[in-house]
Amino acid sequence: MDDTVRSTKIIFISISPILVGWLAIFIGVYGITPTVVFKILFSDVFSSFQPGDIPERAIIMDIRLPRIILAGIVGASLGGSGVVLQAIFRNPLVDPFILGISAGAAFGCAISVGFLAFLPVQPMAFLWAIVAVVLAYVTARTQGEISRLPLILSGVIVSAFFTALVSIVKFLVDPHKLQSIVYWLMGSFSLSDWRLVKLAFGGIFLGLMPPFLMRWRLNVISMGEEEAKSLGVNVKRDRIIFIACSTLAVATAVSVCGIIGWVGLMVPHLVRMMVGPDHRILFPLSLAGGASFMIVADTISRTITTFDIPVGIITALTGAPFFIYLMKRGGKEAWGV
Amino acid sequence: MMVEVKSIYFRHNEGSREILKDINFCAPQGSITAVLGPNGSGKSTLFRCIVGLWRPSRGEVFVGRKNTRELSFRERAQLFAMVPQDHHPPFPYKVFDVVLMGRASYVGMFSSPKKKDYEATEEAISLVGINHIRNKPYTKISGGERQLVLIARALAQASPVIILDEPTSHLDFRNQLKVLTTIRSISKERQITVLVTFHDPNLSMLFADYAVIINDGSVIATGPPHQIVTEELIKRVYGVETKILAWNGAKLVCPILSAK
Repeated sequence: MDDTVRSTKIIFISISPILVGWLAIFIGVYGITPTVVFKILFSDVFSSFQPGDIPERAIIMDIRLPRIILAGIVGASLGGSGVVLQAIFRNPLVDPFILGISAGAAFGCAISVGFLAFLPVQPMAFLWAIVAVVLAYVTARTQGEISRLPLILSGVIVSAFFTALVSIVKFLVDPHKLQSIVYWLMGSFSLSDWRLVKLAFGGIFLGLMPPFLMRWRLNVISMGEEEAKSLGVNVKRDRIIFIACSTLAVATAVSVCGIIGWVGLMVPHLVRMMVGPDHRILFPLSLAGGASFMIVADTISRTITTFDIPVGIITALTGAPFFIYLMKRGGKEAWGV
Repeated sequence: MMVEVKSIYFRHNEGSREILKDINFCAPQGSITAVLGPNGSGKSTLFRCIVGLWRPSRGEVFVGRKNTRELSFRERAQLFAMVPQDHHPPFPYKVFDVVLMGRASYVGMFSSPKKKDYEATEEAISLVGINHIRNKPYTKISGGERQLVLIARALAQASPVIILDEPTSHLDFRNQLKVLTTIRSISKERQITVLVTFHDPNLSMLFADYAVIINDGSVIATGPPHQIVTEELIKRVYGVETKILAWNGAKLVCPILSAK
């Protein structure tokens, strides 16, 4: 690959969340001009620009900005944990959704929302997400090594199991709560506020920081368990750290915005096709790519109709055909087969 | 450094059949020691026990004077470098990045490779002579080139012992010779102790200084290959009738094919 082309791509992906985030502020049912946005954003810094209590101020500061930032954080979490899981399971076909992590977290959230309102949502989501991923892992593990197909199958089984449990919760819960659970399960950022932004940032930062520092080890671990061990890596310990961290990031994401599929599978593929498989670059750029992708998807979901359609529907609708296109075009290169 | 294997026993579980029984041998520094034996005789198991991937039920492995029994993965990797059989990683890493992985035991857990790791990688790449493919995807090069890349990675690991499990089994004739010649020159130049398994006894005659013959989990002969590999030994271990031919100072095993 030509080095300057590659550097251009790297720079482009790195700054893309800021670009799309900036554009997303203007776009919406209520049109706002760039000058007004500037004035509002800088009003705290330069008091001479004080725009007063115009309605745009509330729309930007209380609605659009937290929503865009939350979408970015969640997208980074899904993109980042997708990369981690694909590397440690040596399997380009897994993501948090396929491994059942999302379904486990959803179950934790659903019982917390439905029955145990005194329990906070996030720890429940994390707890059940861990249960789900451990189940998928233990089911797939035979004689020390994890093969690709059994892992996908056990992920599907675990996912189906927890989806069924969520259905039981939906069936038993009272109708008022049912509506919020159903809507939230479809994945949406419509309830974003600054409190959720802080919450999501905390959990996702904690979950993504260790994998970020350890990202070069993902290269080594993806060569296989025995090989990584003979190269001097304590594979068992590192794998536990990676799984726990990405599960925390995903569970936090699910707890603030519901289940949003495809992002964790698609973003790493896309970025890998553009900059190659070296995790030192792939991991940070998947965070940026995931953030941009999610901001774009959410902007589409809130503007395409007069309703706010759940963004999970948008990611699935765009994700599936796009993935087929990627497979046909450059799948062999990216999957290394 | 010399590798000393002292009465290694191995079984998978308590009560199951013993795969290795009282294995003893020495591999001197700067020499190539070939482990020979039929399929299922325990060669790969022995190598796994030596590098510590599997724990022997009894016995010890010494490198120099150091007992390797209680070492961590990191410490072991700085003593033994393992060249695995041909394999396909899931992602198309560049050749350079694959060689760089040899530095894993020198890179801190929350860190990335530093300048000295890049220097060691560069050196290993030029020593093995694979500079021309350094930027190619590892998945897109030939089997012979892949073996050379893995040998370079073992060199980047800077360990005194290199262990190769059937390094030539997937290679054509020319690449077999190329890979083995490279291993031999590196072993002599760097005084690296090499342990290697072969399917073909002739390769040990051509390339190894010492041979260890294993059958059914036990050592049945050790010594320089041209002394210990005899028609009787081949018959006993592989059940094949052969004739040892001598030509130009070298000895070769030629199978006698029966007419029926």
